Amino acid sequence: MAETRGVLLPAYVVADESASMGPYQRELDEGVTSLCEGLRASPMLAAKLRLAVLGFSDDVQVRLAVADMRTETTVPRLQIRGLTRYRSAFDDLLHRIPADIRWLRSEGYRVHRPVVFFLSDGQPTDGDAWRAPHAELTDKYRSPAAPNIVACGIGDAEARTMVEVATRPEFAFVAKAGADLGQAISEFFHALTASLVASSQALGSGEPTLVVQRPEHFTLAIDEVVL
Amino acid sequence: MTVPPWGRIAVGTPEPVFEPRPPGPYAFDHPDTACDGWSTDRFALRLASVRGSGHRYYGRPRQDAARATAHPGTGSVVFAVADGVSSAAEAEYGATEACRAAVERLLHLLEAGPGPLDLASVVTHAAERLRELARWRLQSADPAPAEVAGLYATTLVAGAVRPGPEGARVELCRVGDSGAWLLDRAEGGYLPLFTAKNAPEAVVVSQTVSPLPRVPDQLEQLTAQLAAPDLLLVGTDGFGDPLGDGDGQVGAHFTRALATPPPPLGFGHLLDFSRETFDDDRTLLAVWPEAGPR
Repeated sequence: MAETRGVLLPAYVVADESASMGPYQRELDEGVTSLCEGLRASPMLAAKLRLAVLGFSDDVQVRLAVADMRTETTVPRLQIRGLTRYRSAFDDLLHRIPADIRWLRSEGYRVHRPVVFFLSDGQPTDGDAWRAPHAELTDKYRSPAAPNIVACGIGDAEARTMVEVATRPEFAFVAKAGADLGQAISEFFHALTASLVASSQALGSGEPTLVVQRPEHFTLAIDEVVL
Repeated sequence: MTVPPWGRIAVGTPEPVFEPRPPGPYAFDHPDTACDGWSTDRFALRLASVRGSGHRYYGRPRQDAARATAHPGTGSVVFAVADGVSSAAEAEYGATEACRAAVERLLHLLEAGPGPLDLASVVTHAAERLRELARWRLQSADPAPAEVAGLYATTLVAGAVRPGPEGARVELCRVGDSGAWLLDRAEGGYLPLFTAKNAPEAVVVSQTVSPLPRVPDQLEQLTAQLAAPDLLLVGTDGFGDPLGDGDGQVGAHFTRALATPPPPLGFGHLLDFSRETFDDDRTLLAVWPEAGPR
């Protein structure tokens, strides 16, 4: 193992930009801003993290390419558009994550297993088309950099779907019935920041630990699934 | 009298400078930094264990430990290095007790006579110590292995350097991902004595370790000769990860300073180098095959 510049955690925020998120543009903007500010205020964490923000609907648009948040000056902005095609998200990650890791390694870094924070307010509008790329993305034999996926569903997103998107049942959450969706979005970003802080303390200390904090006003999706 | 420059030595891009937070009210037996150093007629020893900047920043105790002693009857140096697993609730106690139990057992084996050291018994003894500690802590006659691990899981490297007719002989064993190296002071190369925890081609870094109290069926153990210009290094992954294969800045940082045994406090200062993202606890023990300058 050659000397490395450091060991990084690549983290991807993959947020639903479909039209039904329109009423919550303000909460999305504030959530992304608070995430970026939270990371800038935590230099010990930010040094070990590279953050990407992706918006998905009919396709994926990069709102922030994998970045060092200590030096990144722009605040990414999600833009409401189109349908909720899950396939676009997983197709994109399938190619993006290995490319990002190749780049980070070429810069002299090694990487922990990446983490994806997935947020959607609806069921996939592309039926089962997302399942094949998702299966390939999360299969550690076919995708050596297979990420851990944390899935948070609000609004019409169903618990069962979030359990299927997440890589472990305890990584899947849905907003409680009747929860204010704007507030749920805010809580998603708070929990995301807290999870990154907790994970960065655990990484590199002898345990394969991704610490995921349940957002306020969310429940574990697996508890909502009728088996 | 001038005060020496005790700031952390930057190796590459340093970490932010900050004042460490206290490690919790019951961590008073686990100070931020521990170091030791002495020479017998045949060997010089230095060891240091420093709290990682992650633990300093977030107010957690140092969870690494090291213990070393000399065995006068055989002229041996005996030692143990441990890295408490952070998910264990009282990892710092697990690491310390595993080291103490291992060193006590090694001394017992040296007293018992010549011949190869029964290193498997050293590991078994350390694991049993963790179980005893859990019995006391939980007030339970028979704590489950998961309960013991949940409190005290730790890696361990333990062994001895013994003088012999053909020179000094190293005997080592390990459980978990801590490491040992021979540093060639003439050429500056680091020869790993155990296999690396992550292959160079691995796409992502694996952090899976199998620590004590679990005792592996096949214990990793080895013997090696120790002769100048080599010196023996035993360290936790807080040292091994930034070192890599030793051919970079971190390797050079130690090669430059370890030609002869530095003062113990200087050894600790050396180990507490600052390098971005490498914020784990660090422990390093070095044995030179000659006494330090008297």
